[in-house]
Amino acid sequence: MSLREAASNLVGWVDYRLPIVKTWKTHMSEYYAPKNFNFWYFFGVLALVVFANQVLSGIWLTMFYVPTAEEAFKSIEYIMRDVSSGWAIRYMHEVGASFFFIVIYLHIFRGLLYGSYQRPRELIWIFGMFIYCLMMVEGFLGYVLPYGNMSYWGAKVILNLVGAIPIIGEGLQIWVQGDFVVGSATLGRFFALHVALVPLILIVGIFLHIVALHQVGSNNPEGIDIKAHVDADGNPLDGIPFHPYYTISDLTPVVIFLILFFACVFYFPGGGGYFIEPPNYLPADKLSTPEHIAPVWYFTPFYAMLRSVTIDSFGLDAKVWGLIIVSGAMLVLFFLPWLDRSAVLSMRYKGWPSKIMLMLFAVSFVFLGVLGAKPADWAPAWVAPALTTIYFAYFLAMPVYTKLEKTKPVPGRIGAKSG
Amino acid sequence: MDREIFVKLWLATAAISLFPLCSIASSNSQELLQSNIDIHNKASLRRGARLYMNHCAACHSAKFMRYERLSKDLEIPPEIVMSDLVRFGATRLSDAIPAAIDPKVGEKAFGIAPPDLTLEAKYRGTDWVYSYLLGFYKDSNAPTGYNNHLMANVAMPWVLASLQEATSEAEFKDQMRDLTNFMAYMSEPIRPFRENFGKYVLGFLMVLLVSVRLLKNEYWRSLNE
Amino acid sequence: MSKSGGDGTNSGRRMFLSGTTSTLFAMGAMGLATPYVQSWNPSTRARAAGAPIEIDLSKIPEGSLHVEEWRGKPIYIVKRTKTMLESLEKAADKLRDPDSEDEQQPHYAKNKNRSRIPAILVVEGICTHLGCTPKYRAGQADDEFWGFFCPCHGSRFDLAGRVYKGVPAPTNLKVPPHYYADEGTLIVGNEERETT
Repeated sequence: MSLREAASNLVGWVDYRLPIVKTWKTHMSEYYAPKNFNFWYFFGVLALVVFANQVLSGIWLTMFYVPTAEEAFKSIEYIMRDVSSGWAIRYMHEVGASFFFIVIYLHIFRGLLYGSYQRPRELIWIFGMFIYCLMMVEGFLGYVLPYGNMSYWGAKVILNLVGAIPIIGEGLQIWVQGDFVVGSATLGRFFALHVALVPLILIVGIFLHIVALHQVGSNNPEGIDIKAHVDADGNPLDGIPFHPYYTISDLTPVVIFLILFFACVFYFPGGGGYFIEPPNYLPADKLSTPEHIAPVWYFTPFYAMLRSVTIDSFGLDAKVWGLIIVSGAMLVLFFLPWLDRSAVLSMRYKGWPSKIMLMLFAVSFVFLGVLGAKPADWAPAWVAPALTTIYFAYFLAMPVYTKLEKTKPVPGRIGAKSG
Repeated sequence: MDREIFVKLWLATAAISLFPLCSIASSNSQELLQSNIDIHNKASLRRGARLYMNHCAACHSAKFMRYERLSKDLEIPPEIVMSDLVRFGATRLSDAIPAAIDPKVGEKAFGIAPPDLTLEAKYRGTDWVYSYLLGFYKDSNAPTGYNNHLMANVAMPWVLASLQEATSEAEFKDQMRDLTNFMAYMSEPIRPFRENFGKYVLGFLMVLLVSVRLLKNEYWRSLNE
Repeated sequence: MSKSGGDGTNSGRRMFLSGTTSTLFAMGAMGLATPYVQSWNPSTRARAAGAPIEIDLSKIPEGSLHVEEWRGKPIYIVKRTKTMLESLEKAADKLRDPDSEDEQQPHYAKNKNRSRIPAILVVEGICTHLGCTPKYRAGQADDEFWGFFCPCHGSRFDLAGRVYKGVPAPTNLKVPPHYYADEGTLIVGNEERETT
């Protein structure tokens, strides 16, 4: 019996008991993806790459990190100095966190650009938003763990925000903290959530995201349904098997991504004070807030919205309104599939209002991010509320402008002339 | 035509979005001197280590920095480290750099406990450290007789005053650059290595990039025909 | 990677590029694994804690057992008296490995006293049977047994750490690497003074 025969026998044996061949065909070799994927379609696979990096480096860090108020900060320096190659693992995890958000923001923008959230991909979008929210939780928990001064005060500010919830807030805050101050009790549970519970839910979320995607098939820059035109075998004429074509072509963006990633790991690990904020090189100090307190960059757009409300109104504190605005900003994302009333998917065929609104939205989000990273008095007080208004207008006005605008006719086939 | 406008639109979006990011990068509230340190210059780091041990370590600990590491990285023979640098209660090469005085005593003497300096250069930035060291000036109103441009009513007595008076200005600046360099090294001892090693990793990935690109072209050639 | 390529593509070239890319990826994976594997080695802190220890012999009385800890192991040190050294000769025919043929000691301790300096015994206080710490038995001159007795399963060793016949322990007690920095100073954990 040749080696090849033996291998095929083994596959046969397993396949009889576990559908490996069918799974491979359904999701790889006979999964037909549109042939016209462009730059924007790299970020899904890149997100998987970073996620794998986070899991692996994270598991290793748990071997050396100590989640107590006394030891947490020291154990980070222990990893950076005493553990052999510990610095590399820690930098991969820390740079990876920021790269995860860069990749995800671009991945989400792709969805907005080509209508990937529209029918029939609503569930994919909802799972995606669920993953995004969990990532923010994961990012926050992870940022507290080194227990530097920014970790401490960041945790304190966010937990005070929990305390701002009317009626139950104060009790809830103490319960989440597990103590009257942020301390060992808090670190212990944040550590458990960060390394076990949240990643487990994330894995389930990612699984559902991909299964739902493969059920209806990938969208594409034209927003054309490739399943509408199939060949004699029932395969889409404008599709190509995911494997080997996209598995191999995706290697290029993956390697380019790794180049950028490792350039950061080796030459820019602090991200210029945005991946690791300098006050975090001081151990947590309960008596002294950093001069300028800002969350890590991927939260800053929401932080700016939170700060934008400064007036008490309708009988509620400004603080509560800030909380409502931020929750609303996250919540509205989930309703996007039903806010868009357009008959077409891709921005290529949508009308001018959609294009302008998306552009305004993207710009306002980035500007909000910058504002959130700066001291509160850096820009005039009207800027943040104005940008927040644009953010919400993009969503809340969407049923109107997508319904009323004039769209262009979508060609039936990819590569065909429109009209 | 429409496609072109579309591309222009999102390029404009990107450009507008990047504009404020540039302002982040260039923001600098305080006027700082440029430290221009070279973390790969071992001679400078060795001089800095001596300055640190002679002038700073009496009050400031560096509790995450082991002598052993310093000996290996800066190529100072262990015997010399043991005889010249290990002091203030440290006895072994594997010990971290302690301060001579108890932080509580320091707090009584200066009003605040002298902070640990292992990570100071990361926390403040090297330009800040360099500017601070060169920022002391005589001020008869200050309790120690000296004040600092960067930190008004500084608690730290100007321990390098005699050195500053004994040397020329240029020479003193060089010494403070060495000291800053050492503090930068101390804040992240792996940095010289990682900067050297990174080249090989990136070089390897470039080769890998060529390989995956050629492979992709090979597979996609038949599709594109 | 893929073996398909019958659709008019240059399959030789395809095979070559697949092979090259796979090899490069395998190399990359090994490179990436390196820090993960390395991080499991004893850290600088562990190595500092496991560094050689220094023992001032002048403080140890003759004839009694002195215990030190090195890398979590008890190190037994005995300044043997003349009578004790004589007892070694008497026991010889009851021992399993009287000439220390087994590699249980550095070359410099492979002698009749199993020591670097004749009088001073330095052994790891770990029974070679199942790792208990043997008790020290050396008292009156008329005691029939002088040496180390393991309370767990009754293994016996003489005052050079050599195992008796007919006990569960298979080999002599281990002699750790050690040297004398000067006459009164014993260093356990290293063969000789480190020079860099």
